[in-house]
This record gives sequence, C-alpha cells and structure tokens, in this order.
Amino acid sequence: MFFVRYFEAMAKEPPTSHNGPEAAAAPDIAAERKVTYSRLFWRFVWLTILCSLVPLLLVGWGINLHYSRFARERMLNFFQTQVEDHRKLIERFLNEHTSKLQLIARTHDRDQLLEPGALQTVFDLFNQDQRALTDLGVIGEHGFHLAYVGPYDLWARNYSKEFWFDQVMEKGVYISDMFMGFRKEPHFIIAVTHATGEKKWILRATINTESFRSLVENVRIGKTGEAYLLNEQGVYQTSPRANAAIMDKSSFPIEPYHEGIRVRVLDGLKNAQGLDRPTQIACKAWLKNPRWLLVVQQDYAEAFADVNHANTWTLVFLHLSAASILVVTVFITRHMITSIKRRDAEADRLNQQLLQAGKLASIGELSAGVAHEINNPLAIILTERQLLLDGVKHAPIADPEFREQFADSMNQIDIQVQRCKRITQNLLRFSRRTQSLIETVDLNAFIQEVVDLMEREARTSGIKFFSEPDPGLPPVSSDPSQLQQVFLNLITNAIDAHDGQPYGSIRIATQADADRQMAVVKVADTGSGIKPEHLNRIFDPFFTTKTVGKGTGLGLSICFSIVKRLGGSLSVQSEVGKGTEFTILLPYTPPKELQDSLAKKHPPKKPA
Amino acid sequence: MPGSRVLLVDDETIFTKNMSKLLKNRGYQVTAVNSGDGAIRELEQNHFDVIVLDLKMPGMDGIATLKEIIKLGLFTETLILTGHGSIDTALEAMKLGAYDYLTKPCEIDELVAKIEAAWEKKEGKN
Repeated sequence: MFFVRYFEAMAKEPPTSHNGPEAAAAPDIAAERKVTYSRLFWRFVWLTILCSLVPLLLVGWGINLHYSRFARERMLNFFQTQVEDHRKLIERFLNEHTSKLQLIARTHDRDQLLEPGALQTVFDLFNQDQRALTDLGVIGEHGFHLAYVGPYDLWARNYSKEFWFDQVMEKGVYISDMFMGFRKEPHFIIAVTHATGEKKWILRATINTESFRSLVENVRIGKTGEAYLLNEQGVYQTSPRANAAIMDKSSFPIEPYHEGIRVRVLDGLKNAQGLDRPTQIACKAWLKNPRWLLVVQQDYAEAFADVNHANTWTLVFLHLSAASILVVTVFITRHMITSIKRRDAEADRLNQQLLQAGKLASIGELSAGVAHEINNPLAIILTERQLLLDGVKHAPIADPEFREQFADSMNQIDIQVQRCKRITQNLLRFSRRTQSLIETVDLNAFIQEVVDLMEREARTSGIKFFSEPDPGLPPVSSDPSQLQQVFLNLITNAIDAHDGQPYGSIRIATQADADRQMAVVKVADTGSGIKPEHLNRIFDPFFTTKTVGKGTGLGLSICFSIVKRLGGSLSVQSEVGKGTEFTILLPYTPPKELQDSLAKKHPPKKPA
Repeated sequence: MPGSRVLLVDDETIFTKNMSKLLKNRGYQVTAVNSGDGAIRELEQNHFDVIVLDLKMPGMDGIATLKEIIKLGLFTETLILTGHGSIDTALEAMKLGAYDYLTKPCEIDELVAKIEAAWEKKEGKN
C-alpha cells in the first residue's frame, strides 16, 4: 500500500510551464502515459523481486531449513549419545552390584557369612566408595533371614511368599522392580542364590533408593530436562521432576521392548496434578535386566532453543535484507521512471518543436500563396482606384459634397489596401523567405538599442525598463535584423500586456550559459499574464488575444520561427495576474544548415 | 519617358487591362499579354523598351519567361512585378538580368518611377 501511494505521489504531474510552442500532452495521452509509467514501475519492481528477492529468499529459506535439520539432527544425536551413555552407566551399576553379590556368594560359605560381623564387613565393603546399599541379608531356603545388616527390623519376616523369592530361587539372580515390601518404602533388591551342600540360600541386597535415583537423574540436559526409569507397566522406578513419586503410574506411552534408542515427540503428557505438560522430546532405551525403560526428556522448546534462536535471527536478517532490496528497488525504479519521464518530456518537447516547425513551414507555404492571391486583387483594387482618380482628373465632380465623399472613399480604399498589404507582408515574412545576413552581435548593446527605440512608447504607457546585462556575455554570430524583429515583437507584446494597468515594468536580462554554450535573453513583464489554456497556443500562427485589428497573431510565430532558424529556442513561463517571461536561447554561432544555405546564396566573391 | 513602349505580362486580365489604361494615361505605349508564351511571341514580333513581368503565372512562369527573354538578346530592360513577394525569387530574377522588382500592390507612381529608371538604364543614362 505504501508503494502504491508512493507511486501515485510520484506520478503527479509537474507544475505548468511551457517550453516553446509544444502543447502539453493531451489528457488522454497523459493518462495513457501515467498508466504506462505505472506499468513500467511495477514491471521493474516485480522483475527485480523475481530476479533478486525470490532467489535470495529461496536460497535463504533453503539454507535455513538445511541448517535447522542439521542442527536438529546434531541435537538429537547428542541426546541419543547422552541416553546411550546413561543407559550403560545404569546397567554397569546394576551389573557391578549383581556381580559383587554373586562373587561374595560364591567365595563365601553360608556359615562364614553367618558368623558375627562377617556380613557387616561385606556390607561395609559394598558401601566403601558409595552408599549403594541400604541393607544386606542372607535368607535361608525357608524365607527367613539368617543374617541381616541394615536399619530395619526384618528378622521375623518370612519372604517365602514374596514375589521375588520364587524368582530368585528359580533364576539364581534377580533384580526386582520397585516395591514397598515389609518396610513400606519404595525400594528394589538384587538377590542371588547359592547352595551350600544341598541347602540353597539367598544373598539379598537392597539398593539405596536415593543413591540410585541420583545416579539415574544425573544427566545435565537444561532446565527442563529429566531422566527416569519406568518398568514395563509404566510405573516410575525413579522419581521424575514432574511432581510424580516413585511407583506412580506414568502417562508415558510404553512400547514393547526394543533394541537401541528411540526418539519421540510427545504431546498431551500430564504431570502428577493432571495438568498438561508442554510438548516434550523424549529419548528412550530399554535396559536389558531388569526390563526398565530409561527415559530422558526435555521440553521441546528448550531442547531446540538454540536452533530456533539461530533460525529466528537468520530469518529476521533474511527478511530485513529482502525488505531493504525491495525499498532500494522501489527507490531506484522511481528514480529511473523519473528519468524516463524527463526524457519523454524532452522528446515531447523536441517532437513538438519539430511538429511546430513543420506546421510553420506548411503555414509558411500557405501564407506565401495566400499573400500572392490577396496581393493580386489588392493590386487590381489599387489600379481601379487610380483609374477613378485619373478619370476624376479629366472630368472633375461637380457636386462638392460628392467630391468630398469621393475623396474620402478613395483615401479609405488606399488606407485599407495598405493595411491589407501590411498583413500580406507579415504573412510573407512569416513564410521565412527573408534574407539572412550573419554578423557579430553584441547582444547587450544590441538589446539596449532596441530598448532605447521602444522606451518612449513604453514611458507613455507608464512602463519602465530594467536591464540586467551579463558583462561576461560573449558576442553571438547571428542575424541582427531578424533579432531586432524578435526583440521588438517581444517588447511590444510586453508593453501590450500592461494594457489597462497604470504602470508596470519590463526586465530584460542577458546571461551566458556556459554548459550549453548559448546566450540566454530573458524578457519578463509585470503584465496580465497568459492563461494556461492560451499558453499552449501562443506560438501558433494567427493566434491572438488582442482585439480585432490590433494584432495579426503572427508576431510570436515569427519570433519562434526566427529564433529556431537561428539555431536557438524560445520558451515562455507565465502566471495570470503576475506576468510573463520569455526566454531566448541563442547559440554563439549559427547552425551549420543556416551557414551552408547562406554560403550557397552568397558565395564568397573572388578577388578582382 | 512617356512614349516608351512597355510590355505588361501578367495572368490577371483585369490588372493588365487597368494597368494598361493607367500607363497609357501617363503617355506610355502599352501592350498587355497574360502569359509567358504570349510575351515571348510579342517580343519576337515587336520591340519594347521595358517589360513589366509577373513572376507567378500558370504555364511558363516569370523566371522561365525571363530566361527566354534573355536568350532572345533584346535591347530591353525587365521589371519584376510580383504579388508573390518572394524576395529570394526576385533576387534570383535580378541575378538573371532583371533590372529591379516591385511587389503588388504598388502605386502607379511607384511603377512609373521604376519604368523610368529602367528606361534610363536601357538608354545608358545611369
């Protein structure tokens, strides 16, 4: 929308000024041009967008997508590595303690362990580096403790009915899930069997829940990351962060045992209070023994925060670049369209001048013909008049009143014929069939002479002249008689423009235009100005705003024609009520065509 | 001078008729023709002191007629009288050998003055 408004503002027409006789483009042409410029503008903009913005955005988005995938894959690999390492750590812990129990059971006779202090020694050895065990007991085949080291009073407990008892008796080694047991606290055990003679006995260790939990949860994965274990039924074996307790049922979807590590994005998980948790990314791996599922999960947003951050900034930068290109494109296109407009205007001006020149040439031919056709009847009228006068000389009119009337009529015929003759002479002058003579003209002095010539007439109309000659103005090679006609016409018009005003001024300034190598003459008046609708036509032949009989409408046409012929240009700017300024540009040397035509007509004389 | 023989060549019949009368009123012997061809025919048969020749005429125009007159090698002077008013053409005519030119409409006195001047030139008086 901004660009549309911007363009509309740009497309507004410049203020009225008129260079030479060229007419302002007709409204339909102007409207058509406006549409063309608009189309051109949008075509350039769209083309630039297509050639620069689209590839930039495609490449940018592509790279960003590629980077996102790459970064996510790296992130997931890191996640998986963490889970794999952690799984191994937990399995090593469990295997290590299982192996230790098996080793003790194999290397010690049951009775040895039942000796006072023996089991305590073993217990202390287990807990030497880390407080891994809560208690340690030797249980006989009937399910009663034969020896026990630990904080609980379990001597009278019979374990033969417990779920793990049969398992360990059957398998020889058993790691239980978390259960409450007789101590009514969540815990799990590692139990191994051994036989002394025919008597089987069990060495059972309860793993310190806190130590194990620390081991499981010891994974550094951001603020929202957590690691926990679930059994095959989805019951927490270690406590997660989501305010759930050990042995609570998890909402995590349990899949059957599988090898390796799997990654899932989870929606709709709930915490212990039943509230929705944010989307999670979870990495999971089954432990072989026991069948616990190690889950490492993190809020999705946090897990990919760095990637998302980088993505966001990349996209911001990308779109800012695109916006910059768009803005620059619009500005450059606008500048280009303005240049095209200027060139079009210049081309219009030249075309109009060409048209005007052609029109003037045609009208010149026509004028010459018309002048001839009128001159012949005028000549006949004059001869008829002369015949009448001759006749009256031989036969004078007797009636004095009629004689007087006859004389008046003859006089009036002569006046009107002379008036017509002046018109035809103007027409013929307009037809540009006058002789040119090129001389060196000091424009400042020359204009002053013309001003002196006109000053008396101007003074009687209350008009003052102000001359602003440029002392540095070089002389021009031009036709003084034709230049005189131009300046006389312009000054006469300037005086006439003050018709009805008690006073006014005419400013005539000269100036050297170093860039164009031309002399500039400005004739400005403080007269009534020219209406905009007339401005387009003032150089047209026979166009006049003066009353009938006062102007032929050829003055400015002749001026334009002369200046053009001398290789210059004539332009006008006017504002109604404020005045008019004519600007003449004259070359310092006449155009080659004029020089050639003069050389043809006046070949240089051979020395006698 | 009055009595001189003047050949008036113009395609405007009324003009030639009127001008003939005016010049005759002023003592000249005037013959009027309305075309270049007619002028040449007349010149081949009669002698004239001054020829008043219109430039723009149908058929043989003034310049062509002048060229033919010059070819005849006559002892006469030619005045160009034209409503066309083309100074370039008139100057061309003068380069070809015409004595002077006048533009229509012109006063009879002006024409008479030019005829006199042409006659005097022809007579070698100036």
